[in-house]
Amino acid sequence: MGRTSFASRKRTYIVGAVFLILVGILAFRLYTLQFVEFDSFRSQAQRNSISRIASDPLRGIVYDREGNIIVDNNPSYTLTVTPFEFEWSSLALLVQLFNVDSNLVRYRVSRAGQNSFEPVKIMRNLSFQQLSMLEEYRTLLPGINYVIESRRDYHMRPHLSHLLGYTKEISPHLLKTMGDYYQPGDIVGFNGIESFYEDILRGEKGYGYHTVNALGKVVESFDHGQSDIPAVEGSDIVLTIDMDLQSYGERLMLGKRGSIVALDPRNGEVLAFVSSPDYDLRDFTGRISVELWNSLRDDEASPLYNRCSMAAYPPGSTFKMLVAAAALQEGIIDINTRIPCSGVHLLAGQEFGCHGAHGNINVVTAIEHSCNVFFYKLIFKLGFDNLVKYGRLFHFGRVTGMDISNENSGILPSKEYYDKRYGSKWNIGYLINLGIGQGEINTTPLQMAAYTAALANGGTYYRPHAIRAIKHPARDEEELIPGNPENLGFSRSVMEIIQRGMYRSVNGSGTGYLARVGGTRVAGKTGTAQNPPNPDHAWFVGYAPFDDPQIAVAVIVENGGFGGSAAAPLAGAMIRRYLIGPVYPGTTTDSSSSVIEPIDQAEVESAEGVMTD
Amino acid sequence: MRKTLHGNAFKRLDLGILIPVALLIAAGLLALFSATHNAAIFIKFQKQIFWVILGTLSLILVLLAPPRFFHYSAYLLYGASLLLLILVLVFGKTIAGNAGWFGIGNYGIQPSEFAKLAAILALARYLSDSTTSMSSFPDTLKAIAIVAVPWALILLQPDFGTGLVYWAIFLAMLFWAGAEMVILLTLLSPVFIVILSIIGLWYFLIAALVVSILFYLFKRNLGVALLFLVLNLSLGFGVQYLYDHLPDYQKNRIAVYFDPTEAPLSAGYNVIQSKVAIGSGGLTGRGYLQGSQTQLRFVPEQWTDFIFCVPAEEFGFIGGSLILLLFSVFFLRGLVLARRIEFRFYSLVIIGITAMFVFHVFINI
Repeated sequence: MGRTSFASRKRTYIVGAVFLILVGILAFRLYTLQFVEFDSFRSQAQRNSISRIASDPLRGIVYDREGNIIVDNNPSYTLTVTPFEFEWSSLALLVQLFNVDSNLVRYRVSRAGQNSFEPVKIMRNLSFQQLSMLEEYRTLLPGINYVIESRRDYHMRPHLSHLLGYTKEISPHLLKTMGDYYQPGDIVGFNGIESFYEDILRGEKGYGYHTVNALGKVVESFDHGQSDIPAVEGSDIVLTIDMDLQSYGERLMLGKRGSIVALDPRNGEVLAFVSSPDYDLRDFTGRISVELWNSLRDDEASPLYNRCSMAAYPPGSTFKMLVAAAALQEGIIDINTRIPCSGVHLLAGQEFGCHGAHGNINVVTAIEHSCNVFFYKLIFKLGFDNLVKYGRLFHFGRVTGMDISNENSGILPSKEYYDKRYGSKWNIGYLINLGIGQGEINTTPLQMAAYTAALANGGTYYRPHAIRAIKHPARDEEELIPGNPENLGFSRSVMEIIQRGMYRSVNGSGTGYLARVGGTRVAGKTGTAQNPPNPDHAWFVGYAPFDDPQIAVAVIVENGGFGGSAAAPLAGAMIRRYLIGPVYPGTTTDSSSSVIEPIDQAEVESAEGVMTD
Repeated sequence: MRKTLHGNAFKRLDLGILIPVALLIAAGLLALFSATHNAAIFIKFQKQIFWVILGTLSLILVLLAPPRFFHYSAYLLYGASLLLLILVLVFGKTIAGNAGWFGIGNYGIQPSEFAKLAAILALARYLSDSTTSMSSFPDTLKAIAIVAVPWALILLQPDFGTGLVYWAIFLAMLFWAGAEMVILLTLLSPVFIVILSIIGLWYFLIAALVVSILFYLFKRNLGVALLFLVLNLSLGFGVQYLYDHLPDYQKNRIAVYFDPTEAPLSAGYNVIQSKVAIGSGGLTGRGYLQGSQTQLRFVPEQWTDFIFCVPAEEFGFIGGSLILLLFSVFFLRGLVLARRIEFRFYSLVIIGITAMFVFHVFINI
C-alpha cells in the first residue's frame, strides 16, 4: 500500500466503477420512472393540466323592514388579465386604451404564481365604448378579457350610509387578515352591515374545472362540468330600519352635526340610525373618484365618520337617571328621601352651582328639574364603585354589541383609569362631576339609546340590532333574529320612579318640554355635554308612549347648546313621525306648541304629594 | 499518451473532456429556456448565458496561467477562500434560509463554490507532498482538517447540501492518493453516524461498533478504536437530541428526503411533481416546449434544483439518458486524464473536481 498505490490501475478501476454505478443508479431510476411507471405518471400529468377558474357569487340583497329591496346588484364589466397568456409587450397598449394602472397590472400578474391561468381583475366598470375597444384590439392584447361582475345598486330614499357601509375591492392588508377565501381584486364589505355580515352576504365562490393544453389555453370544460362547484348566492338580510323614519331623521339633521339613534324598546331593533353629515352610497359603487374621496375625507365635518356608534361625548344630565336608579336600587335613597338644594354646593372651598335653588326635593323632582346639587350630594352617598357597577350594567364603557363593524366602547372611568391618566392617586373630587355626567365619561349615542330603551321597558337591556331576519334563498329558509334580552335586576318600583321623573321632565315644569308630542305621551331627559372651549353639545333621550313604549330615541346635536332647545324638538319630531305619522300642511301641530296632555291623577298626586310633604 | 504540462496552452486542451462539457452546457441552456421562456423569470435564462460566458473566459485564463501556478498558490488560494467564508458569515445576505451569498447587483455569488475548488487545490497540494505519508494516522488527520475547516464554516451558514460535497471530494482524493481503507473508513465514520442516527437508534449503534472493531482488527490500536467508539456514540446521541429540537421546517426537509409522499401538498410537493414530470416523459418525451408539467409550472423551482425534469419530460428517456451518457463520458475522461498525468498534484486536482461533479449530478438528478 502507501505511496505505491497512488493512482494505481486497481484504484482507477474502483473509482471508475463507483462513477459508473452512481450514473447507473440514475439511469435505472430514469428507466423505472419512464417505462415501468409511465402510465400512471402520464395520467397524473394530464390530471395536472386541469385548471380551476373561480366564478363570483351574487352578493345578498338587503331589504327594509317592510320587505322592499333597498340594495341589490347590477351587472358591470370588469377587465381581466390571464397572467399565463399575457405578454408584457402589450402593456403599453393596455395602458393607452384603458388608462389602467400599469403598476397594478405588474403586481397582479407577477403575484399569480402557480395558478397563472386564472384571470385576475384589473379594472372595473368598463364603459360600452371600452368594451368595443377591447374587441377591436383583442389580437394585440393576449390574455386580456372581461368578465361580468355584479356591483351594488341602491334603491332607497334615505342615505343610510353609516349603517349599511359599502363594498370595495379588497385591500392588500385585508387580503392578509381575512383568510384564504379571498383573491386580489375581490369585492368585500367595508363598514356597517356590509362588513359585519360579510360572511352571510358574500355567498361562496364557485369553481369551474377546465382542461388546459400545453400552452395553458382552456380547451374544454373538464368532465362535461360534472366536477364543477357552482357559486352559492349570498344570503339576503332584512333590516329593522323604518325607512320613512330614517329618511325623516336625515332631513331633520341636515346642516347639523350629530346623530339620532331610535330603537324599539321591546326588542332592541334599530329603527333609525342617523349620523350627520353623511354621504351617498351611490357614489361608492364601482370606483369612487379620487376627487370625491378626498373631499369626503378632508371635509372638516367628517361625513365618513359614524357618529352613532363611534363618536363618544359626556352624557351630561341624561346620566342622572343612572345615578338615581343605582341609589334607589341600592337602598341609599327612596322616594321619600329629600335632599336640600340651596342653589350651590361647596366642596373643598370650591363652588358647584345649580340652575336655581330647588329647595328640599325628592328624586323625581330632581330629575324633573335636573337639579345638580341633588346629584352632587347623591353621588357621594352612592360612591364610585356603585357608579361603575351600574354604569357597566347599562354597557357604558363597553360596546352594546350591535351588529355593526365599528363600535366605540366610550369611557366609564375606573380608579386605575384616573391613576393612569393623571399620574396621581384616585381622588374623591373626581366623583362630583361624574354625578352629573360630566368629566371623564364618554358615551355614544347608540349606548344612550339602548340605555333609554332599558329605562323605558322597565329594566331589560336589549342588544341593539339592525337586521330582523336572514333569508337563505338557496335553502328557501328565513332565519329570524331574536331580541337578546338581559334583565338588569332593577325592582319594578325603582324603574317606575325613574320613568316618572323622565315624564315630568317633559310634561311637568322640566327642561324637556320641547319634546312634547300631541297625541302621545313622551318621557325623556335633556342633557348638555360641556365641551370647552367650544359650544356645548345638546343631548336628548326619551321614549313614547309613556305607558306602552314603542320607540326610544337618543339625539345629540354637536355644539347645539342646551339639550332642551336644540335636541328635544328633534326627538319629539322623530317620535311623532313614528307613532302618529307625517304632518301635512294645514294641520299645524308643532311640537313646541303642543298642548300639555292631562297627566293621570295618581301620577300628579304621588309626585306633588312628595314635594309638598 | 502521457499528458504533460508543457507546450502550447490550447494544444493542451483535452477535446475528450471539452466536447461533453460543451454539449452539457448547451443542453442546460436548452432546458432552462424551456423552463423560463414564457414567464417573468426569463431573466434567469439571461443570467445563465452570462455565467456561461464568464466560465469560458475563466477557462481561457486558467489555460494561460503558468502550469505550476496552482501548485504554488494552492495554500494561498485556500487561505483566501476561508477568509471569504468568514466574511460572508458576517456581511452576506440570506437567500432561502441560507446566509452564504454576496450580492453584486442582481447577481448572487456564493463563496462556498470557490471554497470547494480551493479546498481541492489545498488537499491535492498536501497529499502530493513527498513528506505526507498515507499510512500515517496524524497525516490523515491533517488532511481531514484541510477539508473540515471550510466545511464547518459552510455548516454555519447553514447549508448542509454544500457541506456534504466536501466529504465526497475528500473520500475520492484520499482514496486516489493511496490511503488505507480502514483509516479512511474510521475517519469518515462520524459522517455516516450522523446520517444513521437520524434514521434510527439501532442503525448507528451497530455502525459505530462495526467501525471500531474493524479498526482494531486491522490496526491493532485499541486506544484509537475506543476513542472512535466513544466519539461516534456521543455524536449519534447528540444528533438525535438535536434533531428533536430542530425547527420544524428543517425537520420537514429531512423527513421529506426519506419519504416524499409523507406531505404531498407541501414539503414533498416538489419531489412528487418532478417525478410526475420525469415519469410522464416516457421513451420519446412530449416534445420540446410541450411538457405540461414544465410549461404549466407544476414543478416549482424547476430552473434550479429540478432542471433535469425539463429534458426528461420533453425528450423522454432518450433525452434523459443522453445527458447521463454525456456525464459518464465526462467523468471517465476525467479519470483517464488523472491516471495519465505525470504530475501528482494535478492528478489529484482532476480527481477532486471530477468527484465534485459526480456528487452534484447524483444529488441534483
